[in-house]
Amino acid sequence: MKCLRFVIATLSVLASVLAWSGFAQAEMSEDILGKWYGLVLQLVRHTPTYSPPVASRAFAYLGVTAFEASAAGNATTRSLVGQLNGFKSVPQLVAGQTYDEAVVLHAALGFAVDQFFDNTGPSGHRAMAALDDKLLKDAAKGLPPDVVTRSTEFGHAVAKAVLDWSQTDGGSTVENMGFPMTYQLAKGPAHWVPTSTIALQQAPLLPTWGDNRSFAMPTGASCPLPPPPAYSEDKNSEFFKEAQEVFDISKNITPEQKAIARFWSDDPMLSPTPPGHWISIALQLFERNHVNLQDQVDVLARLGIAEADAFIGCWNVKYRYDFLRPVTFIKRVIDPNWEPLMVTPPFPEYPSGHSTQSGAAAAVLTQFFGDNFAFDDATHVKDGLKSRRYASFAAAAEEAALSRIYGGIHFRAAIAQGLAQGRCVGAFATALKTRN
Amino acid sequence: MRVILAIVAAALFVAQVWADPVVPRFLDETTSSGVDSVYAGDWEYMVGGGVATFDCNGDGFPDMVLAGGTAPATFYLNKSKQAGPLQFKAEISGLEVDKVTGAYPVDIDSDGIMDVVLLRIGENLVMKGKGDCQFSRSNEAWNFEGGDAWSSALAATFEKGASWPTLAIGNYIDRTQEMSPWGSCTDNWLHRPDGIKFAAPLALKPSSCALSMLFTDWNKSGTPSLRISNDREYYEGGQEQMWRMPAGEMPTLYTDKDGWKFLRVWGMGIASFDINYDGYPDYFLTSMADSKLQTLGDDKTKPTYKDIAFAAGVTAHRPYEGADLRPSTGWHSQFEDVNNDGLVDLFVAKGNVDAMPDFANKDPNNLLLQGAEGKFVEAGGKAGVDSVRQSRGAAVVDFNLDGQLDLVVVNRREQAQVWRNTNRSGHWIEVKLQQPAHNRDALGAVIEMKLGNKNVRREITVGGGLASGRNGWWHFGLGDAMQTKLRVVWPDGTSGDWQSVSADQFYIMDRAHPLIAHWQP
Repeated sequence: MKCLRFVIATLSVLASVLAWSGFAQAEMSEDILGKWYGLVLQLVRHTPTYSPPVASRAFAYLGVTAFEASAAGNATTRSLVGQLNGFKSVPQLVAGQTYDEAVVLHAALGFAVDQFFDNTGPSGHRAMAALDDKLLKDAAKGLPPDVVTRSTEFGHAVAKAVLDWSQTDGGSTVENMGFPMTYQLAKGPAHWVPTSTIALQQAPLLPTWGDNRSFAMPTGASCPLPPPPAYSEDKNSEFFKEAQEVFDISKNITPEQKAIARFWSDDPMLSPTPPGHWISIALQLFERNHVNLQDQVDVLARLGIAEADAFIGCWNVKYRYDFLRPVTFIKRVIDPNWEPLMVTPPFPEYPSGHSTQSGAAAAVLTQFFGDNFAFDDATHVKDGLKSRRYASFAAAAEEAALSRIYGGIHFRAAIAQGLAQGRCVGAFATALKTRN
Repeated sequence: MRVILAIVAAALFVAQVWADPVVPRFLDETTSSGVDSVYAGDWEYMVGGGVATFDCNGDGFPDMVLAGGTAPATFYLNKSKQAGPLQFKAEISGLEVDKVTGAYPVDIDSDGIMDVVLLRIGENLVMKGKGDCQFSRSNEAWNFEGGDAWSSALAATFEKGASWPTLAIGNYIDRTQEMSPWGSCTDNWLHRPDGIKFAAPLALKPSSCALSMLFTDWNKSGTPSLRISNDREYYEGGQEQMWRMPAGEMPTLYTDKDGWKFLRVWGMGIASFDINYDGYPDYFLTSMADSKLQTLGDDKTKPTYKDIAFAAGVTAHRPYEGADLRPSTGWHSQFEDVNNDGLVDLFVAKGNVDAMPDFANKDPNNLLLQGAEGKFVEAGGKAGVDSVRQSRGAAVVDFNLDGQLDLVVVNRREQAQVWRNTNRSGHWIEVKLQQPAHNRDALGAVIEMKLGNKNVRREITVGGGLASGRNGWWHFGLGDAMQTKLRVVWPDGTSGDWQSVSADQFYIMDRAHPLIAHWQP
């Protein structure tokens, strides 16, 4: 009877059978969703092009893929087609045909993950193939072969439609790990200059990312920010005071501040990156709160969209103002021997990307779980960092933003305005209509 | 008169190092040499692919064994004539074992006949040298537990007072974890002595997927520490490591409290030499994209290193020629003076892990020649070693005993290559160390050489690089100097006397004999 998990146009089955099937269907699909996302978090960490903006883009498309694959045939769910920029169509189920929801979801995610992480290493490819084999065997168990074939083809078609849509957004090709081969630095003391002696990073990361097509937000410039405090070497200026604050904190940093900086460091290739961190939080809460599949794919789609839009909006502003990093100013004006706690990211400072995307992510999770929703975040336990507890998503976002000052890589204005920009971006994602 | 000559020689030396370095010309003699070996295999062989060079028939010419991956390893007897073309002959030696990833020569039982350690996918093997380039398994006789892992690195030393070596073996990921290999790094092993056999191996926890290990006396304490370069692709919570190794005590990791700086790279191969003449070893670490060159900070008591790769011109982060400019993947690295100008140069073997599209597929090996003020310039193309095969392990070694360092490189899924160095500029010496009784090859010793106003220091090690080890002649370039002075700081810290030697000769420094001995092929 498992082939009746997901039938359209035919409701002539016993109510008791549907109830049993529905339970099994949900469990299987939730398992598939969780396992693919678990692997995606690893692939983001272990695929060298996956800097935070690139990771956010993949999370958006994977979230939309999972949502659309699950939405097909569900009368209570509204597609995102027409609500996201340039997203014009997805395949529809054929009336009267039988499909299996779990196989559809597995096929869609397997196809999408394989495509978005085609550039990962040999271990990633091996892991994708192994997981694909296992989950398909699990999902197809007891199903008629024609249902498996039809469901697989449909899942692939949904994923391909999303993939085709993704190819025109401006972010589908990332070369040289995101660093341009040539780049002309802006002149003037206020502007970004390379902050490391890594040869690849003598040009900044993804300088045109802010021009990419956004998802729910109309354009990359839809959440503008005022300029950062004007560059000044006058000790009484607002900017100098912000630089002095970063310096002073570094000289008196507490163990707790260090722990916060490290917890939200989320370095590319050493963690699931900042957007992956928030996806990880969502996955932990799904399990803890037994969130159903429909809600899981809804949250994952909105979260991915919000994060991707956040990076597009943030990068749009970053390269508009092209502002220098604390390490540049402090070494130049305050203390030539100063070193920040964290490695300074290789791109302009204002606003803080982690702040923007944390503000946007918090908006999405608050919409679903509510204000003042306390939770533990165990994202980095395997890396030896203890879990941290937060009173709300907003509190977690604020701590993520503050971590950048503790780490010595951002000024105060960048985190305050970053959070504000994130809230603006997040509102577009929370406004999406996903239910009929 | 001697004083005047010395001044002239010093002046010439200074003049030479300030000029552009001479580019040595390497001839690819793979086909004519008789070497025909492929490092074969799929996923489990994506790392590894080493070569061991050593003399096993007493003629002084380095012989070698190349890892074959899924194919048996191949032993090559060196049939070259002095200064002639490179000639090798594959011979049955007992080392023809499959699943070999790396090979290292260590005279384990100090009988004066070189033994070989074979790292494998599965059980590692210690192969006793029986003479005349014949080897036999000695795991049981020496109580060596070969284990069952994906072994990827080795370093050897003789700890203080020991008559048997300590072998550190680095292990990679748990190969059974198909769906989630990340975070599955398996324990590295420390095989310490128990009299004249091995004790049960000690697990070095935490282990972080080592791809290169080196015993090195980083602070000149007289007790080498164990430096490990780890692949960040697979560890969780890991970083580059250095273990304190006091004899008879448990190893302990250096931490940030000691001054050790948190560094996480795709660590693949360690090369070591005192390139800035401060008396302390410096370390080059290969990785994907940017490599690192670490020099010890001002406080020599703390293991705090600064990265000078960018300033020295050795980031080697992308191909230096051809149309494929995607980031590079570096593996074996080795400091040697390939043009005999008195400055060590740097060879780096390059090659994609497999077919990773974000990294160069045509990734030429680097030959970075050291020039003025510690700056290196790329000469791989002009020198002729710019192979774009998927290179892994290698050895820069004088195969034909002409004082010019030749090259062998192991390639994944393709034929290994050998090059003869035809350089004729500059002078050189080569030195072999001998001790009576134990640790006959003096692992852990330091050879010091006076060159102009510089004191060139070379630590004698088996380890570092990628899955490759060498033992035998240790080479020094002299530039224009026709004479120099040498001494040895033996592994127990005893310093030998400074001794004058003439250029372009081979010497044996035997601890049992106070005077250095001239040797001829």
